[in-house]
Parts: sequence; structure tokens; C-alpha cells
Amino acid sequence: MAVDEAIAEQVRKNKVSPTIRFYKWAPSAVSIGYFQSLQDEVNLAKCKELGIDYVRRRTGGGAVYHDNKGEITYSVIAPERLFPKGIRESYRVICQWIIDGLGLLGIGAEFMPINDLVVHGKKISGNAQTRRDGVLTQHGTILYDLDVRTMFSVLKVSNEKISDKMIKSVEERVTRVLNYKSVSQDDLYNALLEGFTRGKEFSFDSLTRSEDIDARRLAKEVYRSEAWNAMR
Amino acid sequence: MPGGKLLSIKLSYGSKIEKIQILGDFFLYPENKITEIEKALLDTPITESEDDVAARVKKAVNDNNIELVGITPEAIASVIKMAVVQRPGG
Repeated sequence: MAVDEAIAEQVRKNKVSPTIRFYKWAPSAVSIGYFQSLQDEVNLAKCKELGIDYVRRRTGGGAVYHDNKGEITYSVIAPERLFPKGIRESYRVICQWIIDGLGLLGIGAEFMPINDLVVHGKKISGNAQTRRDGVLTQHGTILYDLDVRTMFSVLKVSNEKISDKMIKSVEERVTRVLNYKSVSQDDLYNALLEGFTRGKEFSFDSLTRSEDIDARRLAKEVYRSEAWNAMR
Repeated sequence: MPGGKLLSIKLSYGSKIEKIQILGDFFLYPENKITEIEKALLDTPITESEDDVAARVKKAVNDNNIELVGITPEAIASVIKMAVVQRPGG
């Protein structure tokens, strides 16, 4: 989260190019949406017991369990003007890159407004976007594998949401790459990389010194602080 | 909510709303302006009509250039009224 914000700041200052990141969470972690209550969404005692981290995002949306081995996360950080003005339309643009990537693996995903991707009606990717000072940040996750037991133990899943959709269990509404194709995580990464970068000029790079310094500062001052994480 | 978003309201109130938090997995831009909507709802008499509560939310949304995605002022008003009805006296 801190890295995304640090990059956004450098994009705002025009110091770095529009940036696409792929990453994993180490240790595994729960992220909650900006408007969610930490206490209501996350089983903090269980997180502590299992060594699972938690953080509030600066984007809206729902709580997500990011398994270290079970997903690939991405961020797109770019000037707002490069994307459609409407938030719903810009979700569609970036989500199409994921669809293209999964398509390369022979997995047919569809965009499910507002911010999900589904395969045969089951969610395979969740995404969240914010815009600040002319910079768009969208991050999201693509499920590769699913540790349902751990996910259930750290997330306080709302009964209302489940009954609303008339579903019995998370396995009936969430899916993963491995359900469709026996590929490695590297294969998934390479397919997503192609989907995200096709037709674009790009180069590989690591964080600039300023981004690194800002990210460390933001992690300490904001994203690791109780003031932020327990804000709501 | 349409699109499968959840909205919940935490309230404390006597004859008026004394504390309020709007929670859920919706989107609202800019995010930190949600407190402006919450502020606009403070001191709302609990007898106020749902339409009038929605109007307060709409005014805060317009005054602060807020964009709501996945929730509406009407839904916020409706959940507030449900909360008040379900727990008379707070």
C-alpha cells in the first residue's frame, strides 16, 4: 500500500512514468477497504495467531485475504488523463488487460461491474481504484489458488452478503486459476504481463530512491499505524 | 445494493443523531470526504423523513464534489431509518 502511494506521488510530480507493478504479499495479509470497519471485517486474534498481517487500503471495496502463495496482485499508477474520465469505464479498461492475460491461458473471464472479474459467474479477480491529484491508482488481485480455511478464519464474512446472493459457501462464488488450468504462478505472471503491456512501450525497473524512501516513511507513519488501520 | 455492495451504518442517537459512521465495501471519491457526509448527518432529528435525510446526504455530496459508486443517498437514508426503527431509543 505504501509503495503504491509512493509511486503515485512521483507520478503526480511527473518524476516517473506510468507504472504497472506485480507483487505478492509477504507475509500473507488481509486488506480492507477504506470504508470498512477493521473490527467488523477482520479476526485480529486469528491474524496474530497465524502471523497474518492486515492493512487498510486507500481504496474502497471489500476485505480481501491475500495468500502469499495463492494470488498475484497488481497496481496500475498513471495520470488520470490516460484513462476514461468515468470511474466505471476506467475499471473496464484495466480489467480488460486481466481478461486478455487470462485469455492467453485459455481462461475466459468476464468483467462484472462494478469491479469484479468472473469465470462462469464465479469471482476470480477483485479490483479497486482511487484517483487523487490527477493520478489514478488501481490495484487488484488475481486468484491462483485458494486457501478457503485460512480465508474464512481471518475474514468475518457477512451472512447478509452470502444470503443475499443465495449462496452457501465461498467455494461456490469464488474461483481460481488452478480450477481451470494447471499452470505455474510464473505462467500466470507471464500471461498477465503480456495482457497488461500489449501494445505499450515499457521497460522493467525497480523503485527509484525517492519512491523507496517515501514508501518506507508511509509504511511507518500510515499503513502500519493503528490510527490508520483502526480508523473506522 | 445493486452491484452487490454492502452498506452498514453505526449510529448513536437520542432525539437526534449523535454519532454516525457509514461503513461498507462501496466506493466514494475522494475517499476522505466521507466524513463530510457523516458531519452533515449529525444532529438530524430521528423523526426526520427518509426523503429529508437523503436530501442532507445529496447536499453534502454536491457541496463537496463527491462521487458515489455502488451506493446512493437514498440507500444511506434508508439504512439510517431502518437502524432507528429497529433500535428505538438507541
